[in-house]
Amino acid sequence: MIEVRNLKKQFGAVAALRDVSFHAPDGAITGLLGANGAGKSTTLRTICGVLKPDSGQVLVDGISSAGDPLALQRRVGGLLDHAGLYARLTPRETFTFSGRLNGIPSQRLRQRVEETIAILGMQSIADRPTGGFSQGERMKTALGRALIHAPRNLLLDEPTSGLDIPSVRSLRALLQRTRDAGACILFSSHVLEEVQALCDRVVILAGGRVVAEGTPPELCELAGVTSLEDAFVAFTSAEEVAAC
Amino acid sequence: MLNQIAIVALKEWIDGWRDRRAVISAALYSLMGPGVVGMVSLAVHIGRDSQAVLIAMMSVFTLVSAFVGGMNVAMDSIAGERERRSLVPLLMHPITRLDLLLGKWLAVAAFSAAGLAFNLAGFALLFHRLPPLALALCLTPLCLLAAALEIWISTLCRGLKEAHTYLSMLVFLPMMVGMFMVFSPVAGHGWWKFVPVAGHQLQLDAGMRGKPLDPLSMLFLGLGTATLAGMALLAAADRLEQDDVVYGG
Repeated sequence: MIEVRNLKKQFGAVAALRDVSFHAPDGAITGLLGANGAGKSTTLRTICGVLKPDSGQVLVDGISSAGDPLALQRRVGGLLDHAGLYARLTPRETFTFSGRLNGIPSQRLRQRVEETIAILGMQSIADRPTGGFSQGERMKTALGRALIHAPRNLLLDEPTSGLDIPSVRSLRALLQRTRDAGACILFSSHVLEEVQALCDRVVILAGGRVVAEGTPPELCELAGVTSLEDAFVAFTSAEEVAAC
Repeated sequence: MLNQIAIVALKEWIDGWRDRRAVISAALYSLMGPGVVGMVSLAVHIGRDSQAVLIAMMSVFTLVSAFVGGMNVAMDSIAGERERRSLVPLLMHPITRLDLLLGKWLAVAAFSAAGLAFNLAGFALLFHRLPPLALALCLTPLCLLAAALEIWISTLCRGLKEAHTYLSMLVFLPMMVGMFMVFSPVAGHGWWKFVPVAGHQLQLDAGMRGKPLDPLSMLFLGLGTATLAGMALLAAADRLEQDDVVYGG
């Protein structure tokens, strides 16, 4: 479970996060919705320990980022918008490197690498350097790297961006299986249809603040509209008016 | 902690070794010195004086080879990570940024030492004389310093092109110091032998001429070089903690 409490983050004159608080429970996919610059990526990077908040707290399975950041990172896997790979390493080597850094013992790691390759259907490309991969193959490799240590908490930032339809469908199926196995998935996207199809709960960010959260039907009811898109517009417009 | 440093170092070493163009380029730079000095030796009569000049030339090329050997790996290891957007996924792993840097530094230092060894092997063939073992010990900290400076500069750069520009400038440091030590009338006196790079050049020159190495100078050079390398690594680690490294600003 991920809990974010009163997170604030400033980059120079820009307040990226003004006061972000929400929680993402286990066994659910929580969607993080927001326009460009709303603070989605900053929130995800802060949760996974890549950025340090100016104030506020991140708790993952009860572990605080301020108390034991490395223990927190062991419990989180992520595919953020930076899906960069090592062009001269194969997916198998990439997964092994990531698994070793996550402290998986050698024998278990070999087994886990094979499992990950099988789950992602990467048998035919597992021993090819990633340099010549298509966008879909690159995304699968990055996802495998995020999943290698079987994290209980998964952060995904626009994971379907650039993927073809079959890859999107297989990714969605994988996320649903992972959720059903009890993982906490925090998922950021611009695509409202995708959020509606996948997410159990939605957190809407605007101007570095949480402006609404709940299940998609709850948000629609709260905004007095019938679609998630209309609810999103209603909540983010209200924040923009307040900011003006 | 040590295990994680070794994991990063091994990955960087494998990744760097597979970059064949960079490896060949570093090897050619390392052999450039023996090649140039060899050609000069063909053009001049090898008397006692001219051999001294050739050894002085050699020492400059050898200092440069310690910096060039790991340059491509250093460039790729932080600036390259930022450019290919693999730095954020790497920072998401449970490893401290200092450990991450130390792993990368060790890999760069290994390439730097390989470049230096390649260069010395070339000169050993040219002069039909093996450099003394003590000289190799004296030069090892120089590889650590070169690697630390290169890693630090790499953390300051947003991409490979920028890193290449600045690291190429860094190579001028041993070149200029070496030339100064060869041609300046004030060089070689007093405290110069305790100054990193300059002192290494003097030890190198002495070692290849068959003169005894100065143990006090070697000790101070080792300590001074290790201190500078540590400072560069701390600066690099501090830089890696800053937000704009993640955001690429």
